Amino acid sequence: MKSVVTTVVTAADAAGRFPSQNDLEAVQGNIQRAAARLEAAEKLANGWEKVTREAGDACFKKYPYLKQQGEAGSTQTKVDKCYRDLGHYLRLVNYCLVVGGTGPLDEWGIAGAREVYRTLNLPTSAYVEALTYTRDRACSPRDMSPQALNEFKSYLDYAINSLS
Amino acid sequence: MLDAFSRTVISADAKNAAIGSGELATLRNYVAEGNKRLDAVNAITSNASCIVSDAVTGMICENTGLIQAGGNCYPNRRMAACLRDGEIVLRYISYALLAGDPSVLDDRCLNGLKETYIALGVPLQSAARAVSIMKASSTAHINETNTTGTNPDETRFRKMETIQGDCSALVAEAASYFDRVASALA
Repeated sequence: MKSVVTTVVTAADAAGRFPSQNDLEAVQGNIQRAAARLEAAEKLANGWEKVTREAGDACFKKYPYLKQQGEAGSTQTKVDKCYRDLGHYLRLVNYCLVVGGTGPLDEWGIAGAREVYRTLNLPTSAYVEALTYTRDRACSPRDMSPQALNEFKSYLDYAINSLS
Repeated sequence: MLDAFSRTVISADAKNAAIGSGELATLRNYVAEGNKRLDAVNAITSNASCIVSDAVTGMICENTGLIQAGGNCYPNRRMAACLRDGEIVLRYISYALLAGDPSVLDDRCLNGLKETYIALGVPLQSAARAVSIMKASSTAHINETNTTGTNPDETRFRKMETIQGDCSALVAEAASYFDRVASALA
């Protein structure tokens, strides 16, 4: 799983050397930023169900046609799956905030997503709308501190860009 | 390869749950103790050649048959291989200590090590003994409890002179990685 520490260790191992001062400095920098990331992860985990619901509601509000016959949200089961997927993305964002890298989103969210959505005939624009709503809805200091918010939004943007 | 953070992610993903306050407390501790951890890694890397050569020398002192003709550290070529392996093991332990997770040690060093040593005829007991001496000196360097030992006039003796504090958790963690190597060879 890609993170600052694993990247540093992989490079040191490839060169066959002990962790150098540079490596330790890189990890130190990562640790200094960690407090904000962990705060964002915690706040997101606490409000996870609510954030998921709001994101899904926003998506069906903007694209009400999705609930029509023959569309991606034509039955309650399908609608539930849409909310489940959004929760899935937010959970991966939570993981990314913990790791401090895009590893979890890359490996479990983005890899193969394009092919799956095409096969199942799902509109990615609906996911984009939901995640964009989440991004714009989050604000500081109501939800989290400014630095934490910055980290949170950057991973949401990463997910949004991958779906656009 | 995992670190303390991605280890939490893997176990949370298995439960299909977001990472909440409970798991984050452990990680916050990693962050709060971050500088200590870096000092500990530095204590090992800065004294690596000393730790390794002391351990191999100690192993041979206890079993001088190793450097006699027919011994496993005779001739120099095999002694050199032994020193090299000691350094490799210590290097992977330093990675594990930096990451706060033993996966890099397991995957890249210990996996198949015992089988390799058996195939090459390396005595596992001696290897484990060298590792246990490395454990003693590494933990002493991290904790700054290293002493001149039996020779009070030892001039190469050195302390890291970092800020004093409670490093018991890190020492225990480092010791667990050495024990991991020992049990992989047992």
